[in-house]
Parts: sequence; structure tokens; C-alpha cells
Amino acid sequence: MTSFYSGPGFDFSNTVRNNFLQDRGLPLPKATSTGTTIVGCIYKDGVVLGADTRATEGPIVADKNCEKIHYITESIRCCGAGTAADTEFTTALISSNMEMHALSTGRKPRVVTAMTMLKQMLFRYQGHVGAALVLGGVDVTGPHLFTIAPHGSTDKLPYVTMGSGSLAAMAVFEAGWKPDMTREEALELVVAAISAGIFNDLGSGSNVDACVITANKTEMLRNFVRPNERVTKERSYGFRRGTTAWKKEQIRSLIVSEEVVKHGEAMDVS
Amino acid sequence: MSIMEYNGGSVIAMVGKDCVAIASDLRLGVQSLSISSNFQKIFPVTDRIYVGLPGLASDVTTLHEQFRYRVNMYTIKEEREIEPQTFAQMVSSTLYERRFGPYFIEPVIAGMQRTPSGSYEPFIAATDLIGCLNFAKDFVVAGTASSELFGAAEGLWEPDLEAEDLFETISQTLLNAVDRDTFSGWGAVVHVMTKDKVITRTLKGRMD
Amino acid sequence: MNSLVSRFSTTGPIAELRKAKEVLGDDDEFSDAVWGSEAGFGSLANGVPKFSIPQVPDPSAFLRLHTDDHSDPSCRIKIKHGTTTLAFRFQGGVIVAVDSRASAGSYVASGTVKKVIEINPYLLGTMAGGAADCQYWETYLGIQCRLHELRNRERISVAAASKYLSNLVYSYKGMGLSMGTMICGWDKTGPAVFYVDSDGTRLKGDLFSVGSGSTFAYGVLDQGYRWDLTDEEAQELGRRSIYAAGHRDAYSGNTINLYHVKEDGWKFIGNYDVSKMHYEGPNGVGYGYDIRTEGRSSANPPATQ
Repeated sequence: MTSFYSGPGFDFSNTVRNNFLQDRGLPLPKATSTGTTIVGCIYKDGVVLGADTRATEGPIVADKNCEKIHYITESIRCCGAGTAADTEFTTALISSNMEMHALSTGRKPRVVTAMTMLKQMLFRYQGHVGAALVLGGVDVTGPHLFTIAPHGSTDKLPYVTMGSGSLAAMAVFEAGWKPDMTREEALELVVAAISAGIFNDLGSGSNVDACVITANKTEMLRNFVRPNERVTKERSYGFRRGTTAWKKEQIRSLIVSEEVVKHGEAMDVS
Repeated sequence: MSIMEYNGGSVIAMVGKDCVAIASDLRLGVQSLSISSNFQKIFPVTDRIYVGLPGLASDVTTLHEQFRYRVNMYTIKEEREIEPQTFAQMVSSTLYERRFGPYFIEPVIAGMQRTPSGSYEPFIAATDLIGCLNFAKDFVVAGTASSELFGAAEGLWEPDLEAEDLFETISQTLLNAVDRDTFSGWGAVVHVMTKDKVITRTLKGRMD
Repeated sequence: MNSLVSRFSTTGPIAELRKAKEVLGDDDEFSDAVWGSEAGFGSLANGVPKFSIPQVPDPSAFLRLHTDDHSDPSCRIKIKHGTTTLAFRFQGGVIVAVDSRASAGSYVASGTVKKVIEINPYLLGTMAGGAADCQYWETYLGIQCRLHELRNRERISVAAASKYLSNLVYSYKGMGLSMGTMICGWDKTGPAVFYVDSDGTRLKGDLFSVGSGSTFAYGVLDQGYRWDLTDEEAQELGRRSIYAAGHRDAYSGNTINLYHVKEDGWKFIGNYDVSKMHYEGPNGVGYGYDIRTEGRSSANPPATQ
């Protein structure tokens, strides 16, 4: 008898079929990817992370306001670029493992721990898990900022950028970064870097998400700047009711109606 | 020719005021040959959740069965109906499990989500073929006519449509989009869900 | 002034052209501009087609590399294809019926394409394959047919016209032309239909259908074809056959264009929407299977409105 549960990890049972189809000249469809500009920078009291909010499927903008700053622990966050599903699930898995690690050690987990877990996982999959990450946070040893490339290599730097808009963002950092910035200065620089990606890189767009992490507080600034607000339409394109011709209608009521039917006589309580 | 175009088909879901709608075409083809004009791609999951499965027809059936099994197991274990948000995560995990050998389906989920106060609010979501979730506040599309649907919906959708107006908007969006796609069409079906009823209508669409 | 100088100079392009005309025995005194550049066929009216060719070692391989979307779906130039066309000969003349869809990959690029090319009042050509190839060469064929009339003081036969086209495309064999056409008309021999394609094939016959939906059209056509069809029956057969293809074939559809060629030349019968034919038909009776079977058996219950 087969088990109700499949084992942990990936299921490869469709690969033979899919390879066959691919050999027949039917290419694999595109997965959602985040063209993306993601950045991070260290300042006086901690770390600021930033991301744009565009998700793409080839030339199509699949999601105009997605979240790319993922939760790892309360004071560690991770920005993801690359294959959207991979960044989503990889960070979720490491977040879960970090929580387990925190519970078993009884200590606040460190940023290097998350970084090591992520790089070991990505290296194991030899780049097939297409996640390019910017990991930042504050722990007992102070603020830390890393980049993790899809093959598992890592960098530890005071300011980092990743994704297709990384060049535009890095240009802003190289011009404007200085040590021991204030929170306001750092946040302003991150917004400028992400904006450079949004406006100059076609794979990035929409809004700026930011996250300010200090030793005792994490601020998730979702849609911190919205420079691409869509103006409301001047005119409505609503259709008059009855425009669409239809052949058949079926209405299913979701209201559960109950009817109480009395049986027998009421009990004599006199 | 990609695998998604082998059988053809498209699905769209839209949010309205206290209602959601999900619609699909009814074509099943083998490349250019149209076989059936009654191939349902949208399935009820619970009373208040519908899932649309455009893509390879064999995977439509396989995934529908897989979701039915998983939802039943959830219902038995948890002793309650699954919520749309939870179901979306279930769809996402099911697909990501096969990250390196995916099903060729891009699911679209529409439902009414129960709020802590006991009322219902509209919920829609879509994932790509390896389970990357997209929670949109307006509309989601998938299938061979997705680019046409994106264009039509971007122009026609507006916030806070009443159920009957949402029906017109989603129907016109779908019908006009699939008329520009060779692999979708051959009739359409629309489900409009409010807090207390589901209206299912089969549309009169172009048959070429 | 400059134009006057160039008219009489012995060097330069106009002089070259003049010399060429002398060689060809063309004795008119007018410049090409008088003929409005001869409707875009200025360089061809004398029977010397010339095309600009890309400066690469193998031009036809270069073209194939960038247009062949079977081996490379992401190639730069997508040639529009997918069609259903048909033509048949019967007692009352020739019926020509075509659909009107142009698709590029899965995208319906147009639903209002004219796939019947009116070569002259007695000749029709159909369009399948490369739209530009068919339009250009069949218009060119029209010029040649007119020249034939002027030279011989009688209309060209369908056989001769189709052979002219077939010889012409054969001279371009292997260079990337793509056409599948039927040359239809009425001449001294009566109604005639010839199938000509870019491989160089030329066939005389009673009944042809060309394009991705041709198998579906043949199904209806073969079943209903007789020589002694009345005009109305023949027109209905052509319309019904294209409907069948438009219905089943993803790359065909939108509308039907119907022509009837008789002794006094061709006549355009009408344009019919395929979807309207499905639900209502040409006179209130829908062609659609579900329309015809609705309410006739328990498997097809009447639709409840």
C-alpha cells in the first residue's frame, strides 16, 4: 500500500514525461520571475533593506505589487530575486528552520546562521533553485548584511544590490553611501537606489518596499514610496446589464435553511 | 508551440463588491484541432471556493483529483471546511513539490473568505506552474489567452462592481480576449459568487 | 531643368532604362512616372523581376533562419499562416469560398482578411500560405494576363494563366516563397479550376481545398458534391464547408467570403460570420451540432433559459 504522505523534498516523478515532451519540441513554459531590484545597506544603528514590487512572466508584468522582503526571524529579513517560487519557498523553509533553531538553542538566532543555511541549501541544488538573495539583520554581534547568489556563494559587505536592477542601484550606492549614516540618510539612500532600479531597469517597477532593522525593533515599510500610482479612469467602461448573451443559468443557494417539524404532543408539565 | 498550448484554454477571476467571479472558456483541443466545446476547467472545491485549472488537459484531471484528495484529508483532520487562503497555500505547496518536474497547469483560485467577524470577503489568487502565489486585489488571469486577458481586464475592470455588473465585465473581458486567441474559446462559463449564492451561467460565445 | 538634362543624357539611370527599353523593343516616349510607377510593378512590367537581396552568402538560408517558426518558435519574423480555402467546378460554374482569419502563432492577427484575389473580372485566385507572396504574385499575374489580352486580342485561358504562375514560382523554388492557391475562372473550355503551389505543383481538377482546415472542408465538400448541383445548392455547399473548417480548425474562422464564377465573370455572393452561421445559419437554421441536436434526445436536453 502506498503511503498517504509523500516523503520530504522534491518529487521528480513528472521529469521523465516532461523531458520526453521537451525532446518532442515542446519547451517548458516560463515560471514567474522577479526581474527585480533588491538592495541592503548598513547604517549607524542597524540595517535597511529595500525592494521593488514587480513580478514578471517573460515580457508580461504578472504582479504589480508583490512582496519581495521575506520574513526570516523578527530581526532578520531577506530580499529575494530570481525565480519567484524559489525565493518564496527557500526563505519560508529557512525561516521555519531558524525558528526551530531558536527554540532548541533558546537564543536569538544570528544572521550568519541564516546565511549558512541558505548557502548550503542553494549550493546543494547547484543553482537549479534560482534564488538570488540579500540577507540582512541585527543579532547579538551587531548588524550584518549578506548577498547569496543562486549557486551558493556569499558576500558580506556594508552595502549590496542584486537582481536585474542591481547596476542602477549600485551606482546610487557608490555615489552616496558613507559610513555611520543616520536612519533617515540610510532610508533615503535605499529609496533612491530602488527608485533607480524602478525607473531605469525594465525588469523592476511599481513601488518601493523598505525594512529598517535595529537591535530591538524591525519596521516593515510596505509600499514606503508609491511613485507609480495609476490615475483613476476619467470614464467608466461598465457594461449595461444584459449585454452578455447567455444560454443557461444555474443558481446555487449557500443559505442553509432549517425547518423544525413538531412531532407528537408537548410534554405535560402541569 | 509550448505544452500549455497543446490543449488550449484560459481562466480569469475578478473581485467585485462583496462578490467574486471566475470564468473560463470551454475548448479542449489537440493543437489546431478542436475536440470538445464542453471541457470544464473550473471546479468547485467547497461551497465557497472555485479553482480554475488551465493548461495540459491530462494534468487538469490529475490535479483536480489531487486537490480533491488533499481537501478531503484536510476537512477530516481539521473537522472544518478549508478557507480560500489556506487552499491557495495548499495549491502552491502541491505545485512546488514538483519544482523540477512540474504539472503544466497555472491554477486560478476564487472564493469568499470568512473574516473573524463572521462575514465574507472576496478572495482571488493565481499561481504559476511551480506554485508562486499572486494575491491580487483586482483580477488574475491564466492560460493561452493570458496576454489578451491582461489587456482587456486592465481596461474594463473597475473597483466595487455589484454581482450583476461584475458578471458583465468578466464575461466581456473573457469573450473578447479569447476571440483573439486561436487556442481558447468555443463557449464560456462564468461563476459569480456572493455571500449567499453562486450564479453559474453558460455564455453564448463564438464557435470558431 | 535637371529632368530635361537627364532625359537626353547618355549616362545615368534614366538613360540606362531608355537603353533597356530600346533593347526590349519598347518604343513609348513616356517615363515610368506617367504610369504612376506602374502600380508598384515598374521594374516588373517588362518581365524582369528584380528584388533587393540581403548581402549575405546564402540569402534563402538567411531568410529561413529568421522565419522558420517550427524549429525556432522565438524567431524574429513570424509569417502569418493558417487558412481554409476551397473551390469547385460544377454545372453552373465555379464556387470559390474562403475564411478570413490571419493568425501569427496563437494570436488572431486579423479576422477580416480578403483571401480571394480578384485577378480580373474572369479570374479569381485564392490565398493560402504567405499572404504577401499570394497578393504580390497574383497581382503580377493580373498584369501579365492583361498584356496577353492586348497582345492576342483575346482573354487568357485559365490553363495558361495558372501555368504562367506555376512557371514563375518554380523559378523561385527553394528561395522561401510560400503559396497554395487555386486559380479559378471561366474560359472557352467552360469553368476551370487549377491548383498551383510554391513547390511548382500545378493540377487541373474539379474540386480542391487548401490550408490547415482543408481536411474539414473536404469532409463536407466530398459528401455533398455533385456535378449537377443548382447554383443555390453549390453556394450553400461552399459556405457549409468553410463553416465546418472554421468551426473545427483553430487557425481558420471569423467570416466566410463566397464567390461564384459564371460565363460572364465572377460575382461576389456575400460575407458570412462563422459564429452567426453556427447559431442561425444563412436562413435561420443553425449549422451547429448542438443547435441541431438540442432537445432531440435525452443526451441533449433543451436549454433552459
